[in-house]
Amino acid sequence: MTATALDTLLVSLQLTDSAFPSGLYTLSHGLEGFLQAKQVDQETMPELLADLLHHSVGPADATALALANRAATAGDWADVVEVDQRLFASKLNRELRLAATRTGRQMLDTAQLALGGEALDRYAELVSAKRSPGCQAVAAGVAYAAGGVATEQAVASDLFAFAVSFVSAALRLRLTDHRRAQTTLRGLAPVIKEVTEAALHRELADLGGCVPIADAMSARHERADGRMFAS
Amino acid sequence: MTDDVLRVGIAGPVGSGKTALIEALVPVLIARGRRPAVVTNDIYTQEDAQHVRRNLAGVLDPERVVGVETGACPHTAVRDDPTMNLAAGAELLERFPDIDTLLYESGGDNLTLTFSPALVDMFFFVLDTAEGEKMPRKRGPGITDSDVLVINKVDIAQYVRCDVGVMSADADRVREGRPVVLTNSLTGDGIQQVADLLEGYRKVPA
Repeated sequence: MTATALDTLLVSLQLTDSAFPSGLYTLSHGLEGFLQAKQVDQETMPELLADLLHHSVGPADATALALANRAATAGDWADVVEVDQRLFASKLNRELRLAATRTGRQMLDTAQLALGGEALDRYAELVSAKRSPGCQAVAAGVAYAAGGVATEQAVASDLFAFAVSFVSAALRLRLTDHRRAQTTLRGLAPVIKEVTEAALHRELADLGGCVPIADAMSARHERADGRMFAS
Repeated sequence: MTDDVLRVGIAGPVGSGKTALIEALVPVLIARGRRPAVVTNDIYTQEDAQHVRRNLAGVLDPERVVGVETGACPHTAVRDDPTMNLAAGAELLERFPDIDTLLYESGGDNLTLTFSPALVDMFFFVLDTAEGEKMPRKRGPGITDSDVLVINKVDIAQYVRCDVGVMSADADRVREGRPVVLTNSLTGDGIQQVADLLEGYRKVPA
């Protein structure tokens, strides 16, 4: 059965919805670390988000999602595992690896139940056998494949979900308000477009971001004596 | 949940004695031959997890206590999207397969807090007398729908103008007969009864 355009849109909306239970609301994606170091304020929060999309999420997670989505669609599970392992290895901090695999496994678990299909079952087997780490971006790539969502739409959807999660953390950290948050999200559309396009053309060997300051902030956050977010 | 592990939630306002209840309950469970572990949902620090580890030193392996960050959403973490707590629980069970009782302490929250049925088999809601005699009358799903309502700090009621008799009668009335236990977690009063009620929810009798 071929999924219609409307079907795949509905799958994208469901997986992107912040109500989809993958624990994303417990993550600030580095933002709390930047705030604790006084390196971000209300003005610069949207710029930080755009920078992270360009230099971290795009080259790492979004690229992994695109590669995993294609490999899962083709039934090439050795490639899915390799993408997963590489993405896991590219995350330098413990909290980032833990965040990626915790949200990934939970997303996989619920997607398996809600969407079903052989692809998700196969990937779940690989993750529970510990042959694949189960990073969120790869789980999402497989889930979108299971729902018949084309790679471009899958990547853009997941980048949008990331942006929503980041901005909602900003709201709880008093780095934005409910209205400015929506302006920020809409303003990010060109960035998401550009990052999606780049992710679709990046090869496995180039997977991985380069954000040394964000990594340092995350490393400090990991050992901070107080924090609301897991990353 | 397909295994034989009993999962128990402990909810209640900040400072009502959720951590104290766990610290009193764990030794009782261990004395009864149970093998518990604890997941705390701290609001900002690891204070609760560390408190439990410190106070149960020599009774419970500190590795069997883990803290989960909840991104300022304690109710979301145990009710709407319990995935991070499910993950923490699964990781504990993977490390210590002998665990038969998982206690989830929620971050302190308001009176509407309940636990997701996907996360726990039963949950306690802990009030204390210092919050005011009126608390049960305020109701809210935590007070009315929890499996067991605990009214803690009965010893200080006399100093905070709270009539425990009234508080307990109001609680009985709004809960339509579901159990209410009066406790002093620091002396252990009422804790055996809490443990008995908890054991009643175990699927596989020992």
